Amino acid sequence: MAGYGNGYGPSGQGQDIPMQDRSHFNPAYRDDSLQRDRVAVDMEGIRMEERRGSDGSREYCPEGSTRRRWAATAEPRDTADLINALPSRQLEQIASGVAAKESIRRRKSSRRSIHGTLRAARGKDANEVADSFTRNDDYMDELDGEARTTETLRRMVLPMHDKLSIKRTTSETRKQMTLKRGQTHKKIGWWKRTKYSIGISWMHFKHRMAEFAYSLELWRSHMKKIEGHFGTGVTSYFLFLKWLFLLNIPVFTLTLGFVVVPQILYRYNIKVPSGYGFSVNETSVSFTGEELLTGGNWFNNTELYYGFYTDQVIEIPVNSTTSYNMKYAYLFTCGGYYILCLITLAISISQSYKMNYIEGSGTHTFYNVSRVFCGWDYNITDKAAARLKHKSFYNEMKEYLSGSKKKSHKKNMEERCKLLFLRVLTNLLILGSIAGLSYLVFWISGSGTLKGSVYILSDLALSLCVSAIFLVFPPIFSKIAQFEKYEEPKNELYINMIRTMLLKTCVLGILVYFWFTDTAKDKYSCWETAVGSEIYRLVLVDFFFILGATFFLEFLRRICGQYCCNKGNEEQEGQAMGPEFDIGRNTLDLIYSQALCWLGTFYSPLLSLVMMVKLFIIFYVKMVSVLQNCQPSLRPWRAAKSHTIFMGFLFFFFLMAMVAVAVGVIIIEPSKVCGPFRGEEKAYSIVTNLIDSWKGDLKVLHDIINFISSPGSIASILVALCVGTYYMRIVMIGHKEMVTLLRQQLHMEGRDKAYLLRMLQDVSQKKKEKLGPSNVNRLLSPTSNSTLEAGQRTAAERKRATVA
Amino acid sequence: MKYRLEFCDVISKDNMGGGSSIFTKQELDDYQELTYFTKKEIHHVYKRFKSLAPNPEAVTKATKLSRDELYALPEIKVNPFKDRIVRVFSSSGDDSMTFEDFLDMMSVFCDHAPLAIKIEYAFRIYDFDEDDSLGREDLRKLIDRLTGEMKLGESDMEQLIQAVIEESDLDNDDGLSFAEFEHKMTKNPEFVTSFRIRM
Repeated sequence: MAGYGNGYGPSGQGQDIPMQDRSHFNPAYRDDSLQRDRVAVDMEGIRMEERRGSDGSREYCPEGSTRRRWAATAEPRDTADLINALPSRQLEQIASGVAAKESIRRRKSSRRSIHGTLRAARGKDANEVADSFTRNDDYMDELDGEARTTETLRRMVLPMHDKLSIKRTTSETRKQMTLKRGQTHKKIGWWKRTKYSIGISWMHFKHRMAEFAYSLELWRSHMKKIEGHFGTGVTSYFLFLKWLFLLNIPVFTLTLGFVVVPQILYRYNIKVPSGYGFSVNETSVSFTGEELLTGGNWFNNTELYYGFYTDQVIEIPVNSTTSYNMKYAYLFTCGGYYILCLITLAISISQSYKMNYIEGSGTHTFYNVSRVFCGWDYNITDKAAARLKHKSFYNEMKEYLSGSKKKSHKKNMEERCKLLFLRVLTNLLILGSIAGLSYLVFWISGSGTLKGSVYILSDLALSLCVSAIFLVFPPIFSKIAQFEKYEEPKNELYINMIRTMLLKTCVLGILVYFWFTDTAKDKYSCWETAVGSEIYRLVLVDFFFILGATFFLEFLRRICGQYCCNKGNEEQEGQAMGPEFDIGRNTLDLIYSQALCWLGTFYSPLLSLVMMVKLFIIFYVKMVSVLQNCQPSLRPWRAAKSHTIFMGFLFFFFLMAMVAVAVGVIIIEPSKVCGPFRGEEKAYSIVTNLIDSWKGDLKVLHDIINFISSPGSIASILVALCVGTYYMRIVMIGHKEMVTLLRQQLHMEGRDKAYLLRMLQDVSQKKKEKLGPSNVNRLLSPTSNSTLEAGQRTAAERKRATVA
Repeated sequence: MKYRLEFCDVISKDNMGGGSSIFTKQELDDYQELTYFTKKEIHHVYKRFKSLAPNPEAVTKATKLSRDELYALPEIKVNPFKDRIVRVFSSSGDDSMTFEDFLDMMSVFCDHAPLAIKIEYAFRIYDFDEDDSLGREDLRKLIDRLTGEMKLGESDMEQLIQAVIEESDLDNDDGLSFAEFEHKMTKNPEFVTSFRIRM
């Protein structure tokens, strides 16, 4: 920390730097935008104006200094020459040579050179760049030089044919140098050679993998079409769908490989009884179409459900020594794909969080800059969408301007109380309705009174009820939220999403509780299969509701808009009024479906296949609907931030599902007549038995596992994690303070530079007047005015020290 | 509109067989190493390039497309910065592009290009007067182009420009240098998602 605060006052968290220190440091300091001759001694003597700093802090600066450029009064040519003579500008041209060297040593680490790319292109031509490459030994290295050169060239900002010519020149020079070196008998060791060949083959492998992945990429042209019409907001929904689809593929593959296929082989070998279509009591049940809807009867004794799987040790082929214990296979496969999903989700949510929250936060949200520089979505290809994007940007700017103009008037006590009362009331209302709906679900699943004459409907009653609740109540909640008068629309959006997710969590929680308690188990001999079929029905009904909602909300609304409100439309340049695609609601539906799938895969191993088919069909249905029916939205959608939030919800639901299944495995007793764990006390007891069985042979392993799972070690691991988190937090706070200090310092450096350049300009103007026009060129050379140059150099050096 | 059930691109119509005779192996390797594309993507880009030319059969690597022909590309046609894009990526500076320039451009806009290169080119595109800094005039033109047909009032524009400069200008020189621009854009996750053209 030493060296950074010299002479700039001890202001740690203060945002105003007292003027006394400045004058004390340099008595000649004059801020002549004030046009005063006196040295400014005390703060009260100068009119200060408030300047909002880039980190949201407020600074007090002399009036007018924030806006006037120092060069406003000079001639343009002199100004440009002066700027180019600055050491910091020349530094950039040197840096392209130096940074090329430095970037090699730092290639393994992640630190970048002064500018991220090598800004060598400015003012230099290809030959000079090629020279700077050849001068550097690392690029001329026999083995690695080629790779390093191309890597650096790729990152440089140069036209392509320049890059090609530089590459060819350097490789020729390299060959000549290698020949020369070869003559002096400098041999390369075999270790280096093998490292090099491994590196080359790894690179080729990576290229081939990239090509393969490119050719396999799913739905690329469809995404492009959607992107062209709607931009990144709607595309984020479809990308999320694709990601979920890809996530289900390894889950399905694992269950297929380790659980379903051995079961099929077992039954094939045993041949008792053959074929499907029989129930537990050996009576035959035929397959009618309605089983696809209810998931029961005929499906009850197929691989679809847990109850069908055997608990035997399978020997394949028959009577050989290779044995395959179905119990272990089932449980460990389940654990395996949960851990896989956990790792995938944890990695994506941490990446997303890092990109969108940590790097984007600092101390202030960068609303202005993001709206202006990211205002245009380069993906758009459609003219109508482009026009809408322009309009949306215009509206955003207008909204921002009107928001900043209107001062947020302090609400007086009465208004605040009223608002608080209103919000408490609405929250109570919503929580109450969630509780009521949960009880309703509990009652329906408990009582059998809804059995009517239509056989299918009574089975589907619970699922229909649940899906209807999820369709009807979230819009009601959002209507209620409108009464709460949130100041920012995004807060309202987040509150709505949280309430919807809370509703779904409660309902699912009640269902799980019901399934795991005794009341359910008494009814069925094989309760796991019942649970599995219930979840299958939930998934299926949810699918139909999504299709129905797409049809009614989007297709019919467009038809109504076109034919009913025709008169109004003619004024709007023939634009078709259509519904907007509700990204939030649709994504939350996807998250709910995926949560159901995770909950149910233990009890119905083929559910992930059902989920994959469902997602596949939903993609095409939604795509057609969006392209035909919907209009791009006028309101901007923050895709990156919302992605983090959706991943957060997904992760939360995954954890809930994992906890529910873990409870089912560890605590609940499996049914006695069916499934891989029949007869065991708890499904988890096979693991404990396995570990106990190691007591004889593998005592070391047994002791290690006992030690790790003892309460003491778990507690100490938790304590260590907490200490680590606390340490990270302290480091983060320290960094934030550092950033504030450095920002102030940069600001001061800028003012230093402006002051010095102004002095230089004054002097050169005076000299120009004295000498006359013929000797103007001599004035601006760096060798004259050595004292001023010294001042420039120290300022530039300090700047370099802060940047490096 | 027809919707083909396209599961993989292998069975799609843009097959790679036709384009492989245009480039030698060395050239293709060079292009692959110097851009962020795979070989198949390079062929795809060449196909798009050919489709823009008035006479697709006579297109060679040395063909230059003029500015108006480039404007026919759908992604560029509706872009409010199309003249700047074509100017920045045209190596001869006269708004015409060879295939290599076109490849360069698509490579910068693709998914795999690192953030630093995108920021560099975005800076050049938005620097209308090409003085290596985004001054007030540059910002004014930028906002003007973005609002399209509707124009902001003068005081609104001033207020907006002032707000942008206050937020991003660290050394108080009334404009954004490259370092300041880079600093802001690295912290902004929306930049990567918006500054992208998928082939």
